[in-house]
Amino acid sequence: MSIQYRTKQKEYGAVNMFLNKEQQKMLDGESGHAIAKLIQLIVKIGEVNGATKLIPIKNAQIAGVSYLTVGEPIFSFFNMLSEDNVKVSVPSWLNPAGMDMKKWKEMGIKNDFAEKQRRIIQQYQEMGIQTTLTCTPYLIGHKPKFGDHLAWSESSAVSIANAYYGARTNREGGPSSLASAITGFTADYGLHKKENRVPRIVVNVKATINHFSDFSALGYWYGEKFHGIIPYFTSIKNANIDQVKMLGAAMAASGSVAHFHIAKHTPEAEKVDLSSVSETVTFDESDKKQIYSHFNQTKERVNLVAIGCPHTSIEDIKLIDSSLGDKSIKEGIKFWVFSSQKLMQNDKAKKLLTNLEEKGVKIFTDTCMVVSPVVRENYKNILTNSAKAAFYLTREGTNKISLLSLSEIIERVSE
Amino acid sequence: MKTIKIRTIVEGTVEGVALVSPIPISFFGGVDAETGIITDSENPLFGESLTDKIFVFPESKGSTVGSYVIYGLSVNNVAPLALIANKAETIVIAGAILANIPFVDKTEHDVTITIKTGDKLVIDTTQNIIKLKKE
Repeated sequence: MSIQYRTKQKEYGAVNMFLNKEQQKMLDGESGHAIAKLIQLIVKIGEVNGATKLIPIKNAQIAGVSYLTVGEPIFSFFNMLSEDNVKVSVPSWLNPAGMDMKKWKEMGIKNDFAEKQRRIIQQYQEMGIQTTLTCTPYLIGHKPKFGDHLAWSESSAVSIANAYYGARTNREGGPSSLASAITGFTADYGLHKKENRVPRIVVNVKATINHFSDFSALGYWYGEKFHGIIPYFTSIKNANIDQVKMLGAAMAASGSVAHFHIAKHTPEAEKVDLSSVSETVTFDESDKKQIYSHFNQTKERVNLVAIGCPHTSIEDIKLIDSSLGDKSIKEGIKFWVFSSQKLMQNDKAKKLLTNLEEKGVKIFTDTCMVVSPVVRENYKNILTNSAKAAFYLTREGTNKISLLSLSEIIERVSE
Repeated sequence: MKTIKIRTIVEGTVEGVALVSPIPISFFGGVDAETGIITDSENPLFGESLTDKIFVFPESKGSTVGSYVIYGLSVNNVAPLALIANKAETIVIAGAILANIPFVDKTEHDVTITIKTGDKLVIDTTQNIIKLKKE
């Protein structure tokens, strides 16, 4: 049994947080200055959110990898950490980087960017973090278990961990997930507590939801309307991981929704307390149509198809292959698919890759259309089946995107 | 002299001049970590430096790596003297702790209205108050 210590009020105004001996020692600097800072960060975030204790985490998924999204300031932070030679204390995985670590030149990445990107990844690696470079760790064997407490930071991965696997994680930031990976703790608030995991809105899905893009459109529609509120979806017939990841990703992008339930499909749905539901809404064909027409922007010639937000599974890639059949991608159009290196390593996958390359489909790993600079810069008219990708790529107003189903995309760009 | 009650996030007692952003600030992409200059063209403070100022803002927005920008400001010796927000959230809490910049929130009033750019302030986290000395 651990002895409960009250944090030192004098040092940083802690009020209601009780720390065990190990945590208190970290805070007192016995494990070094960097660890003291990192646990202080967790304690303070916890206090502001009403936590009264820290809890151990099973693993961490860390965002803040692409040089595009972290920039120069990350290096100052790495310097502080490396002075104390800190290492992660739980299994930890990295989010996608700004480029394919091997085929970056082919993507159009410049040398300077590549050099900085490699330095960032090396720094994370030196802390003991696995360089998975994916937003879908659950597709490469790191499936969370029901009830596990985690510190994940990629917004779509957070929502899948909570909803599809019934694990518990808040929507961490890059810095807080890293702090948790190193100290092994997170603060006990938000989605770590059962009472905060209940739905408040029931969504009756009347529209036909078949394609990945339909799941994505539903998620986008919901998130935009009901920012941050946990939904309970009814009348969704099929909900496999590849479909659910499109739904969760879009909802997290448009509305910061970090958890959801799907009747008859997600693990908490059956027993979840519905007494907090205050509203029932319907998603019908006209709502679905409205999202597709919002992202129907490509007027000029399309120059890129971008698939893989979140990263594709092998099944997703097989579907591209079978939808394409004997056809090839038209001249002048790039067809890029984003996935994780781990999935591409076996012989079957390699064969699939070669086959697709012959048809004009390029598979890049370790990165995606959202976190790589080249997609935004070099391709102005893009087709995708992901509403999350459409959301991020249109934010700066320089790119035109159309959201379509995979079969419609293939129909338009192949011959 | 007016006194405003606060909640202390990161301790420190400082005296300085306020720089007030009327809109939420994105540290990542909105502030240059090397110079301390506000680079968000939508912010009325565009082009101003927050170095050695008491930076006042309603809340933060944008990427969570904004914390690293705040840390970078301090490493590059261009950090603000202190931070005051209506509502503290993760990005600035993490950044202020890493950089050891005094940070307070939860004031009784909307700080972006009560405090004006150029006002002289004392933040006293031992008493959890801001003393406002109008010029």
